[in-house]
Amino acid sequence: MKRVEFLKLLDELLELEPGTLRGNEALDSIPWDSLALIGFLAMADAHFGLVLTAKDVLKCESVADLMKLIGDRISN
Amino acid sequence: MLNPMAMTGRTILVTGASAGIGRETALLLSQLGGQVILVARDRSRLEETHSLLVGTGHRIESRDLSMLDEIPNWLQQITTETGPISGLVHCAGMQMLIPLRQVTAVQVGTMMNINLTAAIMLARGLRQKGVHALPASIVFVSSVMGIVGATGRSVYSSSKGALIALAKSLALELSKDGLRVNCVAPAFVKTAMLEQMQELTATAQFEAIESAHPLGIGQPRDVANAIAFLLADTGRWITGTTLVVDGGYMAS
Repeated sequence: MKRVEFLKLLDELLELEPGTLRGNEALDSIPWDSLALIGFLAMADAHFGLVLTAKDVLKCESVADLMKLIGDRISN
Repeated sequence: MLNPMAMTGRTILVTGASAGIGRETALLLSQLGGQVILVARDRSRLEETHSLLVGTGHRIESRDLSMLDEIPNWLQQITTETGPISGLVHCAGMQMLIPLRQVTAVQVGTMMNINLTAAIMLARGLRQKGVHALPASIVFVSSVMGIVGATGRSVYSSSKGALIALAKSLALELSKDGLRVNCVAPAFVKTAMLEQMQELTATAQFEAIESAHPLGIGQPRDVANAIAFLLADTGRWITGTTLVVDGGYMAS
């Protein structure tokens, strides 16, 4: 998946206008809450077949960190 | 000494017998003198369960319950070999933690198929003449999440609440056939499913869930005891109801 598509998925998850996220935002500057966490885990599974844990995601401080979790399944 | 929950001479079919509550229920029923038909998809884990059981005459049926419409015929085939059975327990099921904004119809369908529709087809199968002995008893494993809710649990709660309603109508419809139908509603029980849930939940939130149980997180044996109570003669005059086994979770 392309980076820009991933960011759009994340926009959708957080109910932001598509194209809002650039990829460098701190998680505490965007509407990131416990529901977003659950949703991100479900998204990682559904779109990337990745079974992440809440601990993995809680270590993330930025959107870039979230992308690192998905790893090479996102291309630039 | 009297054992009011003795299951001697009775055969019970247990789905989800490969792990957790299903495995523990199968073990307890064998300890109470019953014979158990162990059902799950994973044959090797069923064999592990089988090796834990006491007594003889138990049976492994490795089966994917997603072949829903075939369940009644399958039950009939089994009982031509085992003889009529005295009940069944539906422990097989799945959980999901998902915000409503991401819920799809396919996910709802998948959850309902295993948690609910399989239960309905199992009951339909057991009802057939020659499949059930008299008296016979059905127990569905519901959940406190079928009675109270939680964020992210809309789909799971729906499926577990449905079982509670199902037990009531089936209890009325099947009483003249000699069948009792009840649910147990556990809160959080130490099983692989709970560990899976723990992985998906922030530590602080999970700790809050744990402390919401005045008696702590439950053990599979706690739920198995309630299931056996409903299956045995101790449940003779109990039908159409849900036995909450929750360590006090719902008291507040």
